[in-house]
This record gives sequence, structure tokens and C-alpha cells, in this order.
Amino acid sequence: MTLRRRRQWAGFFFTLPAIALVVGFIGIPIGQAVYYSFTSWNGVVSTWIGPSTWTQAFHNSNLWTALENNAKLLIAVPFALALPLCIAVLLHQRVAGWKIFRSIYFLPTAISWVVLGLVAERFFAFQGTLNAIIHFFGFSHTNTNLLGYESTALTALGITFIFTMIGTNTMLFLTGLATLDPSLEEAARIDGAGRWRIFRSITLPHLARFIQLAFVMTVIALFSALFSLIFVMTGGGPGYSTTTVEFLVYQTGFQQSAFGTAALYGIILFVITATVGIIQLRLIGSNE
Amino acid sequence: MTTLQTPPNESTLVDPVTPPPPRRPSVGRWVLFGVMVVIAVVMLYPFWVMIATSLQSATQFLSGGGFSWLSWSTLTSVIPVGQEVLSSTIVCSASIALILAVGLPAGFAFSKLRYRASGMVFLIMVSAMMVPLQAILMPEYVNVTKLGLTGGYLGAILVYAALGTPFSIFLFSTYFRGVPDELIEAGIVDGLGYFGALWRLVMPIAVPAIATVTVLQFIQIWDDLLVGLLFIQNTNERPITVGLAILAAGRTTSIPALMAGSLISALPAMIVYLIFQRYLVKGLTMGIDR
Repeated sequence: MTLRRRRQWAGFFFTLPAIALVVGFIGIPIGQAVYYSFTSWNGVVSTWIGPSTWTQAFHNSNLWTALENNAKLLIAVPFALALPLCIAVLLHQRVAGWKIFRSIYFLPTAISWVVLGLVAERFFAFQGTLNAIIHFFGFSHTNTNLLGYESTALTALGITFIFTMIGTNTMLFLTGLATLDPSLEEAARIDGAGRWRIFRSITLPHLARFIQLAFVMTVIALFSALFSLIFVMTGGGPGYSTTTVEFLVYQTGFQQSAFGTAALYGIILFVITATVGIIQLRLIGSNE
Repeated sequence: MTTLQTPPNESTLVDPVTPPPPRRPSVGRWVLFGVMVVIAVVMLYPFWVMIATSLQSATQFLSGGGFSWLSWSTLTSVIPVGQEVLSSTIVCSASIALILAVGLPAGFAFSKLRYRASGMVFLIMVSAMMVPLQAILMPEYVNVTKLGLTGGYLGAILVYAALGTPFSIFLFSTYFRGVPDELIEAGIVDGLGYFGALWRLVMPIAVPAIATVTVLQFIQIWDDLLVGLLFIQNTNERPITVGLAILAAGRTTSIPALMAGSLISALPAMIVYLIFQRYLVKGLTMGIDR
């Protein structure tokens, strides 16, 4: 065997275990999920039903509620980007002790969303911090219980989501700001540009692709990472008011044992996140 | 998690926030400092809640005041913290070991030992990053159950490893692209063989990348709920996040004990984060700097 061929074989063998693992635990299940979405399946026995499972699913009000909840939660995304952007810009001013501040701001990033969800529950609870703050400002007879009502639970979930994303997004933006050439801002300042103008014309355009990446990561997290928060904060309720598509997969599969329908919802979730991902790739492609 | 973009160069390995711009003496400086303190208070709020609440007994908590070590001294009777932390540690280390064992050689091969169609295979592997577990949850659960792996830790370990491998391949292969070919060639010609080269040449070079993968995956797996919840069926093998979530969902537990448990579960990830902060930042922003 020539050296070249030997090297190719070595390369092949080096990648084989990874391929086996990913194909076995991600690739094959995708195919199975598509197949089982056309069946009635309880995890043991599956009966082929055909495309009617899909038309049925789209007549299911729970799916529409879940999609609607996800859509409503999208309102949180601008906040989950704007707040970290402001924080990153503040950190970038490098006041005394900014490195300590940076560490503190990123600290919640290390904590499980299970724990953050538990803390958020305390915050919104009847005897929680939110009501204490409201009382402090003199509204002693106003009591909120956001998680207790169908009309407000999703708002509480959205606020918690914004908090949980602050660390990661601030980290991204701060990295972006660090790659900005300070002499550009300096030159603009000498030319008489004000702070806001510098931010808008130099800083923001420079950060564009960081904002794009943060946007995509935030949206994907919104669709596929809320499980822990929902599980501990609301369990999807009250009613179905905080059930998102990913939580619906879990509920349908493990609380109602409708494995086929749950697989179908999973495919819908996959299509949504893949679409967001592909749009992202397109955007990057068009930038270069 | 990350994008498929132009490979970063070695500059990624430098702390991204090094060159300080010239300081402008300004009156607004104190205002700015004040705002930052306020933000710090908000970000530290979860820790304050956990500490303050855990230092009350269950009855004190309900009546709204008081101080007591009771929730801490009786913690193990409410939450088997020791066992749960041990489970989390086992699952985390085994998953990370597996991710490194398959991801490092693969990432190395995809960038230095290319074979026919390896570029295509690489793309497919990396795009698996975009698949959320919930999308394949049902078949995954049934498969792992049928293999009889939901009893112990193995099922969860394999699922975590499979979910973490695509990103690690991406990270390793971009990392190795910055290593000159000659270095590897020389080692192989010197009679190390491919495994020898991997073990004695490639691994030592890849330490920063290994650290990045380890830190990111540690925090990810330690903090995760879904996989542990479904793929580890034995109550006495539950990881700590799963234990906490199940107790919380039951809604009958003493909240102070739950907060004490939360604090314990948060500590290891926080410590890892504080020590390896820069690796975390690097991993998160991989593929975008420059």
C-alpha cells in the first residue's frame, strides 16, 4: 500500500467510531421518527396509518396552542439580544473592576436551567421577590402571581428565558467588541462624531454577524432548550398555557403514551429549528 | 450551538478581551459604575435566593422569617445529595471521555487524513449539531430501552456522547487546521504510526481544544435534565438536576431544602466555569472570530 492510501485508510478508521455513534443515536432515529409519525405507536407495537396522522395532527388544538406559545415567546428574543448588547457595551467601557463584573454577569450561565427555573418560581411566587418589590414601591395592596394564571404564566416564562440567555449573549457580544479596532472609533471621535453616531455607524455594523449568531442561538434555544424551565416552573400549565412544541413532545409521548403523535411533533420541531439554521447559513453565505 | 463558518485562526486561543482602549477620564464614570453594580445585583439574585432561603427551616419559610441551619443539617434525608452528585459525576466524566475518544481522532482525520468523500461526511456529522434531542426523542427512548440500557448509566452516557460529538468534531477539526501538516508528516515518517502519532503528537498539541470541549460539555451535561430524566430509570442512580426537578415537580418538598440542594448542584459547574472561563468563551464563539 502506498503511503497515501495508508493515510486515507487511517483517516477512515479514525472517523469510524464517531460516525457510528452519531448515525446510531441521531441519524437512524431521525428516519425512525419520520416513519413512526405515520403510525399509531405505543412504544411496542406500531400500526401503519399513513398521511392521515399528519392531517389529524394539524387539526389538534394542542399543537396549535403549542405553536402559538412558541410564537408568542419570540417576543422575548429582541430583549434577550438588546439587554446583553447594552451590558456588553457597558463592560467594554472598562470601568474599575470590570473583569469582576464580567465574571459575575456570566456566572448564571454555568447554572442549570432547572435551578434557575426553581429560583424564578420563587421570584414570581405569591410571597416572592416580585411582590416584595411592588410593595416596596408603595403598591402594598397589589399582589401578582404570574405563574398561577393562564393569561400571565407565559410572560413569566419569557422573562425567565431572557434572564437565562443574558450571560451567553453578553459573552458573544463582548467577544465581538474585543475584535473591533479601537483606532476606528478614535478616528471617528476626532472627526467629531458623537457617541451614539459612533455606536450606530461603527460598532453596530461591526457586531452584525455576532448579533446574527446570537439571534439564531437564541431562537433555537427558545424552541429546544426551555424543557427544564417549563418542567420545574409550570409543567406546561396552567392548562396548556406554557406548553411549547418541545414540551408537547414530552407530554404526548410520556404522559399520554401516544408515541407516534409525539414523534410527529418532534419532526415539526426539527423542521422549525432546521429552517432557522438554514436561514442562518444563507445569511452568512450572502455576507461573504 | 455554533455556526459552520470559516475556520478561526490561532488568534482564537488568546483571551478575546486583551487590548484595553485608552481610558477617558469622565464624569459619567461613577454613574456607569453604579449601573454595573445594579446589574451585578440582578445577576447575583439567584445565589442570594438560594442562600437566604436555604438558611430557613420549612416552617420559618412558610411564616416568612427566621434563621436556621435545619434545612442543611437534614438535607440528606430529603435529597440524597451525595449519591446524586456521584451519579452526575459518573455520567459527566464517562460521556466526556467518550466524546473525546471518538471526537479527537475524527476531528484530526477530517482535517489531516482526508479520504474520499470525507468532506461530505464531515458536513453531515457537523449538521447533526442542529438536531434537537426532542425531535428524535421518541425513537431514541424506545431504541435505548430495547437495548436494555435505561437501567444504569450507559444509555444516558451514549446519548450525551452522541449529542456532544458533532460539536467536538467541528471544534477539533477547525483547531487542527491551524497545525502545520509537516509536523504530523514528520511524526508518521519517524515510525510512530498513525495511532502513535495521534497519541504522542496530536493529543499534546490539542490540549487547549480538549479543555474547551471538556468545559463546555461538562456544563452542558451537568446542567441537563431531559436525558437524565428519561434514560436513567433507577431512582438511586439519578443525577442531581433530575433529583431536584422531580422533587420540585412534586410540589410537596420543603423549599429551603430544595434551595440547599440547588446550591450544591450549582457549585461544581460554577467552579469549573470560574477556573476555565476563557475556554468557555472560546468554545461559544468558535467559528465566528475573524
